[in-house]
Amino acid sequence: MEASITLKKVGKLIGDKTILASLSFGVERGSLVAIIGDNEAGKSMLLKVISGIEYQEFGQVFINGLDAQKRRQEVMSSIGFVSHELDLDPWLTLEQNIQFMGMLYGIDTETINTRMVQLARELHIIPFLKRMVEDISPGIVKKGMVIRAMIHDPDILIMDDPTAFMDAESYRHTWDLLLRLRGQKTILYVSQSLQEVEEAHDRILVLEDGRIVLDGSLDKLLGSTFEFHQFQIEFEELSEDLFKALSKLPKVKNATRIGNSIHFYGRERNVFFEVLNAASTAIMKDIIVKKLSLQDLMDAKYAKDGIH
Amino acid sequence: MTVVMKNILKFSVDKIPYEVWVFPGIVMLIAVSSTYAIIYRDLFDLRIHKKSFMPITLSPYSKTNLVIGFLTTSIIESLFHVLVAMAVLTALLPEPLKWTAYFLTPIFAFIYSFLLANLMITLSIVTDRITTYLSLSIMMFLFVIFGTGVLVEFDFYPEYIGIILTNNPLSMVLSQLRDLLFYNRINWEWVVTPLATSIGWTWLNGYLLKRKLKQ
Repeated sequence: MEASITLKKVGKLIGDKTILASLSFGVERGSLVAIIGDNEAGKSMLLKVISGIEYQEFGQVFINGLDAQKRRQEVMSSIGFVSHELDLDPWLTLEQNIQFMGMLYGIDTETINTRMVQLARELHIIPFLKRMVEDISPGIVKKGMVIRAMIHDPDILIMDDPTAFMDAESYRHTWDLLLRLRGQKTILYVSQSLQEVEEAHDRILVLEDGRIVLDGSLDKLLGSTFEFHQFQIEFEELSEDLFKALSKLPKVKNATRIGNSIHFYGRERNVFFEVLNAASTAIMKDIIVKKLSLQDLMDAKYAKDGIH
Repeated sequence: MTVVMKNILKFSVDKIPYEVWVFPGIVMLIAVSSTYAIIYRDLFDLRIHKKSFMPITLSPYSKTNLVIGFLTTSIIESLFHVLVAMAVLTALLPEPLKWTAYFLTPIFAFIYSFLLANLMITLSIVTDRITTYLSLSIMMFLFVIFGTGVLVEFDFYPEYIGIILTNNPLSMVLSQLRDLLFYNRINWEWVVTPLATSIGWTWLNGYLLKRKLKQ
């Protein structure tokens, strides 16, 4: 498929600190890409560089094949950006904020109003359009920001935590809209909610210290990286000898002790039965088996070192 | 201010009643005040509080075009205030002004606002703290009031200070307007210099904005 966004060895420095380190990747047209990572991993900066808010010190960003720095004015019409912070003008109504941005992009008033009402209806914020932004709750303002970013009908939506400040219903309305656009628009977003990312993505980029450490769909990431299950057995009393004996079983990985519980990883489910056999003399209180999730993947220890 | 000042200065050096002489200066002061409020609100306040300024910079325009946009909106609004102020001040004048005054004053108010709006835009771009901005703004207003001939003629200053103040572009605008209104004479240099300065400054502000935003 054709690339909508292409980064070639993009580097960003702030002072002496490297924020983005020679990033190269492409985003396919119409795909939904989530970016996750720890604080200070460079997620927001990556979005800023792609959207043109900040220029990179090294490398090139191409939007629809055009160099974003050299052909900025052509590129900007293709991008809609939603920042993490609430950044609507508080002294205007929600409607005026959206209309103003539409006019900046040279869209005629009728088209602006038609699009605004349609999107506002989908996001259930029609009653708030004529209210001053300072009088509206942050979740509604964020939805207004999503509409503002889409008012000029851009091909690419870049969103920093698009559902921040939203309640469960607003979250659902927003994702209903974004998922409807999947395939038509390229959507690149950052989220702190791993559950959100698990539910909505074609591809996940895991960023760490300005580098992409993992890249792919959730199944691919979990499959290729670990293929592990997570196990936890709580005993009435877990002796030190028993813990050591269980930890030394050949298929048990990364065993840790939490009170009277042993927590470990195993590549196959039958590891569990071996552990149960070895621990049959002790009294067990609870057993938990689950497949690894994005949360486990994001655990810095395993993201860096894997399970040995 | 003029009510107090006219008790001190009854006439200008050339025997023009003080209220009449000060009329263009007061109009310019009103133009500056309204321009200041708009630039503060639309540029400085939105920028430092990260409200809707960044999305504006992402629109498909060059930074110079954005600066021209801020200038245009602030000058149009200030000219509206100038027209209202002229109507109010006319009612307070002891003798009516020539009809040309009502045509020429807004034109020169445009040039005056064009220059000062550029100065305010520069302040709004280079300062990041509200306290710094306010202290610089107070200095700017003091300079406008006492250093550009708004209230006091330069003849009252020591000669060398008067020469320096006369030759700044803001003073040129006001001096030229008074020359036209009271003596029917024009010095094109005093019209072209402020206009050329403003145009150059607009381009400089576009460059400063680009540098500041790292875009």
